[in-house]
Amino acid sequence: MRPPGWLRVPALLIAAAAVTVWAVPGSAAVSPAQRETATQRPAAPAAPADTSCDPTASLRPAGPPRVTRGSFMAKIRARGYLIAGVDQSTFHFGYLNPLDGNIEGFDIDMVHAVAAAIFGNPNKVQFKAISDLQRIPEVRSGAVDIVAHTMTINCERLQQVDFSTVYFDAGQRVLVETNSPARGLSDLGGKRVCATKGSTSIANIGAAPSHPIPVAVPFWTDCLVKLQQGDVAAISTDDSILSGLAAQDPWTKIVGPRFTSEPYGLAISQQHPDFVRFVNAVLQRLRTGGQWAASYARWVGTPVPAPPPARYKA
Amino acid sequence: MTAVGDPPRPSPEAPPALARAERPALRQFVRATTTPAKLRLLLVGLVVLCLAWGAVAAWVVSQRSSGASDVVGTSEPLSLDGQRIYRALSDADATAASAFLSGGLEPIAARKRYQADIAQAASHLESATAAAGHSAAARELATLSAGLPVYTGEVETARADNRLGLPLGAAYLREASSLMRGTLLPAARDVSAQANARLTEASGQATGLPLALVLLVVTAILGYVLYRAQRWLMRRTNRRLNPGLVVATVAGVVALLWLAIAFAVARADLLEARDHGSDPVATLAQADIAALQARADESLTLIDAGGDDTFEADFKAVERRLGPGPGTLLTAAVAAARGSPGADSAAAAARAATAWYAAHRTVRSLDDNGKHTQAVKLVTTPGPDHSGTLFTRLDGALTAAIAADQVVFRTNAVTGRDAFTGLEIGVIVLSLVMAAGCARGLSTRLAEYR
Repeated sequence: MRPPGWLRVPALLIAAAAVTVWAVPGSAAVSPAQRETATQRPAAPAAPADTSCDPTASLRPAGPPRVTRGSFMAKIRARGYLIAGVDQSTFHFGYLNPLDGNIEGFDIDMVHAVAAAIFGNPNKVQFKAISDLQRIPEVRSGAVDIVAHTMTINCERLQQVDFSTVYFDAGQRVLVETNSPARGLSDLGGKRVCATKGSTSIANIGAAPSHPIPVAVPFWTDCLVKLQQGDVAAISTDDSILSGLAAQDPWTKIVGPRFTSEPYGLAISQQHPDFVRFVNAVLQRLRTGGQWAASYARWVGTPVPAPPPARYKA
Repeated sequence: MTAVGDPPRPSPEAPPALARAERPALRQFVRATTTPAKLRLLLVGLVVLCLAWGAVAAWVVSQRSSGASDVVGTSEPLSLDGQRIYRALSDADATAASAFLSGGLEPIAARKRYQADIAQAASHLESATAAAGHSAAARELATLSAGLPVYTGEVETARADNRLGLPLGAAYLREASSLMRGTLLPAARDVSAQANARLTEASGQATGLPLALVLLVVTAILGYVLYRAQRWLMRRTNRRLNPGLVVATVAGVVALLWLAIAFAVARADLLEARDHGSDPVATLAQADIAALQARADESLTLIDAGGDDTFEADFKAVERRLGPGPGTLLTAAVAAARGSPGADSAAAAARAATAWYAAHRTVRSLDDNGKHTQAVKLVTTPGPDHSGTLFTRLDGALTAAIAADQVVFRTNAVTGRDAFTGLEIGVIVLSLVMAAGCARGLSTRLAEYR
């Protein structure tokens, strides 16, 4: 990993400079060549932690959230609704509630807060259900304004999209049936372990030293179907997602310690740093105003920890 | 080889001596130089020829009538069962999917429809298994029998989870649907396809010309020999008619007329059954199967708003296959149904399909623009330009066309098969009468020489 790391530092400096220049209103659009430099890196296997950047440092908000003239938020307001890419199958974070047909969850609360800040109405949102694999392409193509989808911030993804500050801290663990003796991935060598396509979890399973067999499916609930049918021995992903699965089947348990750190951020196109700053301001208000704690208590449970502190780029 | 002048010797020389005694008699018989010898030869020849003709005719008749019976009794019902299994299963899948779409409590009508579909599939599966015996379709039917309970089990799990408000329900429904679409529906389609292939083969056996030509040649030979025999006998014996041979001739003519009429009637009926019955039915059924598949795609795209567009891509592929348009199933079905009672319904189906596609595009554009609830409403509720209603119209038109042409098939195929009733026995009896007549007529003449 070292030689690419060396190459990456200057590349990132250029990228960071580009973003800063861009953020200044009226400055010329950054040349595509500069941005391409930033993405010109070998496609490294996702597994080992990439330390080439400071992933959780985001753009500092310019005061409280305000829809300024000519900003991306003004465009969204003119359109009449925010378009959010969300999950529809992750219980308690983003899921289609079969009882009322609404998409609900912790991630969804964040989106409603952003919509409320733009429109004064939290329901001016068009939800677009997407799979894990589609999160980055949907943001980059502009098909959605924002992605709230249990999405881990990491350096590799930061090459392609921007992230808000961290709004939730998760870590990868393992879910097994209650009668399983396994205590973690180390006990699951040669066994089939499920995660979704395009998730950081599936890469971590593949990279585990005990060599479990990764089984990739489109949605997290598909993993639980496979576990219930005896097709896989375990599911391994963020504890936040696992607790949503465990809540649907009392004959499962979450085992072992967290073995990764998965800070969640809202993904936004690199074209809209003004929107990143705006969203960060919204998140900060949620942290200090008590709404973050209320959402946590509603969807994750009590006791409610302190919200992850916002970190900004220097 | 043994010298003629040799003195008779005991045993070792005995067989050649016997052979020598026999050979001239045989030669004399074959050469038939004398009138009694010729009569004797004619008698044997005619009896053998009559019996041989009877055997050939009976065999040809049995081939044809068993082909016709297979068409009516086995391959057509099997093909129909395959189509109905497909219909019922596909409708069950689409109904289960759209019941999920309604959210909250599933509508009781949807639940009833799903249950009726499953019951119907099971019952057709049973009759198809009985009809198939050990034919090629047996393996697919076994796949269906094994898979159906697994499918219904997964749907029930999906339902139970859904009622608890768990998103896991949708995952079970996806799993069930992929079993249905990946395994069960293709198996049902294969049952139908294999039965249709068998139907074509059996129908060909019942109407084919080669065997009839063989019979015609044998009949011509027999007729010619009978005619020559009677002429020769008349000249030789100066008698006008030989009663035995007259009986044989009359029996032969009766047999020939019967065969000709039965073959002509059966062939006309079976060809009518094929051209205005089973052929349009097969094409219409293919179109219906494609329409049902696209309908399920439409519902599943709305449930599986997971972004991947597999189902919508499949819908578009099916739309291209279904038509109407050159080389598509609906256009082929309209062409195949031309002149049959199902023609009007087939044409109506082609028009309904176009209207349905337009409604489907409205559904897609609503869903793609975040108006999921409105999209679902267009699919699940009735209304003049709702996708659900327009699909029902397409499906109804296809079903009506299939039912109308099915009646044509059934009526004609049954009369075609019944044209062979008693013919096999009749031909055998008549050929025996002919043989007896020849034997009687000639042996009377022969007796006059003793």
